[in-house]
Amino acid sequence: MIAIQTENLSKQFKISLKKPGLKGAIHSFFNKEYKIVHALKNISFQINRGELVGFLGPNGAGKTTTLKLLSGLLYPTSGKMTILGYVPFKREELFLKKFSMVMGQRTQLWWDLPARETFALNQKIYEIPEIVFKKRKEELIEILELKELVDVPVKKLSLGERMKAELACALLHEPEILLLDEPTLGLDLLMQKKLRHFILEYNKRTESTIVLTSHNMSDVEELCKRVMIVNEGQLLYDGELEKIVEHYTPEKLVTLSSSKTIEPELLKKFGRMVSINGTTAKIEVARKEVASTIQKLFNAIPLIDLSIEELPIEEIIRRVFSKIPSQLVIQETNMEESLNKEETETKKNLGERLSP
Amino acid sequence: MQKYLSVFFLSLEQELYHRASFLMDRARSITILIAFYAFWSTIFQDRATLLGYTKSQMFTYVLGMNVLRALVFSDKTWEIIREINTGKISAYLIRPISYVGYSISRDLSDKVMSLSSAILEVLLAILVLAIPLYVPQHGATFLAFIICVSLAILLYFLMSYAVSALAFWTAESAGPRFCFELFLEFAAGAFFPLDVLPTYLRKLFEALPFASLLFFPLNILLERISPSQILKGLLIQLVWIFIFAFITRTLWKKGLESYGAEGG
Repeated sequence: MIAIQTENLSKQFKISLKKPGLKGAIHSFFNKEYKIVHALKNISFQINRGELVGFLGPNGAGKTTTLKLLSGLLYPTSGKMTILGYVPFKREELFLKKFSMVMGQRTQLWWDLPARETFALNQKIYEIPEIVFKKRKEELIEILELKELVDVPVKKLSLGERMKAELACALLHEPEILLLDEPTLGLDLLMQKKLRHFILEYNKRTESTIVLTSHNMSDVEELCKRVMIVNEGQLLYDGELEKIVEHYTPEKLVTLSSSKTIEPELLKKFGRMVSINGTTAKIEVARKEVASTIQKLFNAIPLIDLSIEELPIEEIIRRVFSKIPSQLVIQETNMEESLNKEETETKKNLGERLSP
Repeated sequence: MQKYLSVFFLSLEQELYHRASFLMDRARSITILIAFYAFWSTIFQDRATLLGYTKSQMFTYVLGMNVLRALVFSDKTWEIIREINTGKISAYLIRPISYVGYSISRDLSDKVMSLSSAILEVLLAILVLAIPLYVPQHGATFLAFIICVSLAILLYFLMSYAVSALAFWTAESAGPRFCFELFLEFAAGAFFPLDVLPTYLRKLFEALPFASLLFFPLNILLERISPSQILKGLLIQLVWIFIFAFITRTLWKKGLESYGAEGG
């Protein structure tokens, strides 16, 4: 059963521009100039009931915009979408009762009061029967280890503690659709793990549909079978996480250590060098040539150890975003330089997207 | 309904939590009370009437103004502006609760707090300074007064709610809001009775929604206007309520449509 469906969904923002300095301020006071930003361009996808889907993309790619459209906070510029058969921006009460959204930087908790008070308010807002509310509340407090935290004014909580309280607050009405924007932001590693476990459990137990965005690759790797990669408002990839690897990387990562110092010049003949540190090095080798390359490596270098791995997903995604061509077996001499250049270009690309 | 009651009590709790700002507000209102008392005592000296007010009428105006100001002008619209500008309003828009209802509940809790302390202050002033008060002669006066104040509260809410909607288009709506408040207090007669003004200005403010917020209800209480004038005034109030209901609705509808949910 389809839970979420979008068809050619687009969203444009009008952003006012300001020229630098006082002169610019005066100028824009009298003559405001606008720029149209295409935050989302023709996005179509379907998410089935019970799926747990991750949205990946750099800042400003359109992840949060997508979530806001799904939650009904934004009106689409064009295109269609339905959630559980409802049109989100109509904000029908029945729809609002069936979903929840947790936004990392926004809190629905009352700042000066203990979280327990907002829980009670949500009971009334979602009209949760007393017995059910009590049971769920105790459960959530238990699992998320909130016992000592629910009676402290929210503003005294740390970011991570608040995030947990936030999540508990959002789940009291047991939503069928859960949208999570950066759920593990600000949490320590142990808590991140617990939270991920909790989300997974929740998904299984309630058969709810969960869509999350995250900068934290481990979130996505541990939680989501299916990912959607968005960049510059476009859906670049929609499919299984595992298949991204094949889809985007014709190379594998070969890590080797030798009994002698490895000559960079020598190594470059075998593949694209990633790092070198005296006797250990990492190179990327084309998938098809892995076997023959290793043969050659054995002949050329006194190897002690060797491992062949897939590239880390983070690296693959970085490439998807920075549009670095996949044929990366660069033969030029100045490897370091070209690597650095890549880095700066990626940063530049990101930077451009960061500034609205 | 229960959810709004819940918001009301939670707001009260929050208000009590902010003791410092609450006490500050009280200090402000006591200062205003003393200043006005001193001012009008000096001006009256041994005159029997001034601007058509007897001494007891004038003092009742000043004290009544203090109470009405708490009742009519207390609101949480600064919070609304902040919530729109920071995007916190999102947290309410995605829950099954109406934002208007939520705002009204919060406003009411603010009114309850301000009103109860304003009444205390005024009672204290009456006892300590032995201020002569004007007691209305007719029972109907109270009825007209209550109707008029209720309409004034509604009208003020609609006006301030319309002004806070400006936050959807500009991040600097605190400015317009501040000007609105200052001008409003002046034009509503919170600083002095509008009789001080030149006739054309007073007439203008009476035709506009401002005078009907404080000046008009107080004049009813002081029995300074005839029944036909009262009816005319109530009619003006009603007309402005309809006008502002329309403006506010339109502004909020358009505002929510263009709401960019900051930080996207």
